[in-house]
Amino acid sequence: MSLAEVLPEVQSLSRLDKIRLIQIVAQELEREESELIEPNRSYPVWSPDRAFTAAGSLLEALEDEKGR
Amino acid sequence: MTSPAQSFPYVPRDPSLENAGLAPMLPLTLTGDRSVATSGLVDSGATVNILPYAVEVQLGLDWDQQTRSVELSGNLASVEARVVVLSAVVGSFPPVRLAFAWARTDAVPVILGQVNFFLGFDVCFFRSRGLFEVRPKS
Repeated sequence: MSLAEVLPEVQSLSRLDKIRLIQIVAQELEREESELIEPNRSYPVWSPDRAFTAAGSLLEALEDEKGR
Repeated sequence: MTSPAQSFPYVPRDPSLENAGLAPMLPLTLTGDRSVATSGLVDSGATVNILPYAVEVQLGLDWDQQTRSVELSGNLASVEARVVVLSAVVGSFPPVRLAFAWARTDAVPVILGQVNFFLGFDVCFFRSRGLFEVRPKS
């Protein structure tokens, strides 16, 4: 179902029901977001984000190769 | 002349996470003594490129012949690593030389980081469209 199909029915709701609908949608969005990261589950982050010495070594290896 | 960018899809890495489990995995072919078709996580937060142990073995390289050791960080801080420089073909772009920290673990994907993947390629991420674009640096 698309927004275009639902919108006329939403517009026909009473003011109170529109406020309730806003609350329901907001709660639904919050619930969906909180489910993105589940508790008690492992999410590995492998990025060697501060391996600057290693980065220097790789650059040296590339320079050495160019010099050959 | 600037090469046109090539688009690649985000691919599922953890189907249970549905859309949140997609990641920018770039198909590439690495060549050592042999060639291996693989894919690498395009990771702008990684300082260096990383190769898992098994991929290098598939390439026919010998751990003991790689004499330059490097120290990694993050989850890989305790993992021994050595420097290797390989030829890599990304998409239909010309081959480039990529330097990798060859990690002595298989619990890590191929990672394409700042040195030197991002030094050689420009990347645009369009996460909401589920694709990313790559082109050689101009």
